[in-house]
Amino acid sequence: MSPNTETNSDDRYENLRQELRRGSLPLAVLAALRTEHYGYTLRKTLADHGMAIDEGTLYPLLRRLEAQGLLVSQWREEGKRNKRFYRLSADGKSILKQLLTEWKSIHASLEDIF
Amino acid sequence: MELVDRYLYAVKFWLPRKQKDDIVAELSEDLRSQIEERESELGHKLSDAEVEPILKRCGSPLAVAGRYLPQQSLIGPALFPIYSVIIRSLFFYFLLPWLLLWIGIAVFSPDFRADHPGAALLASLEPWWLACTYSLFFNTLAFALLDRSHARSHLVNNWNPRALPAPRDHNRISRSATIFQLTVVVATLALLVQVDAFHRVFHFFGLTVALSHQWPYFIWAMTVLNGAEIAICCLNLSQPRWTRLSASLRLGLNVYSSGLIYLLCRSNLLQSLSGNDLPSSEAATLVDSINSWVAGSVIWVLVIGAIVLLIDVRRLLRVGRAA
Repeated sequence: MSPNTETNSDDRYENLRQELRRGSLPLAVLAALRTEHYGYTLRKTLADHGMAIDEGTLYPLLRRLEAQGLLVSQWREEGKRNKRFYRLSADGKSILKQLLTEWKSIHASLEDIF
Repeated sequence: MELVDRYLYAVKFWLPRKQKDDIVAELSEDLRSQIEERESELGHKLSDAEVEPILKRCGSPLAVAGRYLPQQSLIGPALFPIYSVIIRSLFFYFLLPWLLLWIGIAVFSPDFRADHPGAALLASLEPWWLACTYSLFFNTLAFALLDRSHARSHLVNNWNPRALPAPRDHNRISRSATIFQLTVVVATLALLVQVDAFHRVFHFFGLTVALSHQWPYFIWAMTVLNGAEIAICCLNLSQPRWTRLSASLRLGLNVYSSGLIYLLCRSNLLQSLSGNDLPSSEAATLVDSINSWVAGSVIWVLVIGAIVLLIDVRRLLRVGRAA
């Protein structure tokens, strides 16, 4: 295999890997926000669980989820700095439950295919 | 923290007005948390050089701000393929032939160059530039408006599988077109025989037309051309698909006929005209005018010949790929 082909193969894998993870991010964020977090601690929590996400992706996603009514946020002072805390809304809890069921179904289907 | 402030200011510039302060405050908090954590790891305040990689990892201000904006496009993916086909067709079937014709005239016509000296030569291309600009602008505008109107969903969603065109076989040779071509070639040959075209002097409507001594050679060449055309037509009738052989023969024959017409135009074919009511001085002027008009039209022969040859080469490549 030539180095070029290897690079292309790596690129293709990386693109598909990111696509796969991107699809799972909303679920991971909703699940993590069953406990209240502000942006930085949420990122650290996700990273600790192997779902590292950069700030440029996380904050726009949080805004989208909040605009859809799945999250509620509140600015509060903590450690002498203002931080925006997020948690699941009632709708968010219901959607998360449905998404987790769907996730398990997808996982089972894939296991079945493999 | 000056670097962070500069970074946040740059991000803020691109953000939607209503959300600017909110987004920047949240981003600022995240960056300062990262810096604080790094400072506690290293045990000292971070220098600009140490802050820089943190900002770099966050992304360029434009990219970061872009993620907060709704995805926008002038022409969406539903209509873009139609837009692309129209723009490409405009270019290949209208603007490109026009440009080639202009280049041909500019290169081969000394009269044109004399009428447009220096920069005026380029200025003579102004209508072409205007046509490019207007066609691109109005097409883009029309599609952008269509994309934002209700007509788009009607256009995209109202379709019927039965109304779709049948797949086109580019390598099929239409029998009716071949028969038509064969009829024209045979009729041309019959006409050449009927008027006894190998002679150089013809009489009609009280006029005597004398052609140059090259004329019989042209007639022989045309007879060979017509014979070859008949052979290709018979080949195409027996095997109505383009093959490497038939496509190569078509290319060769079109090169031959283009060259023949080119030579015919450049050969001052008309030698003399005479008639009872035509004074000799007027006849000589008329002969010169006709010969120079024919010689002037050589540019059209070149342009049309180039287009035909391009089509032939494209066909040959397509057949080669399919083989």
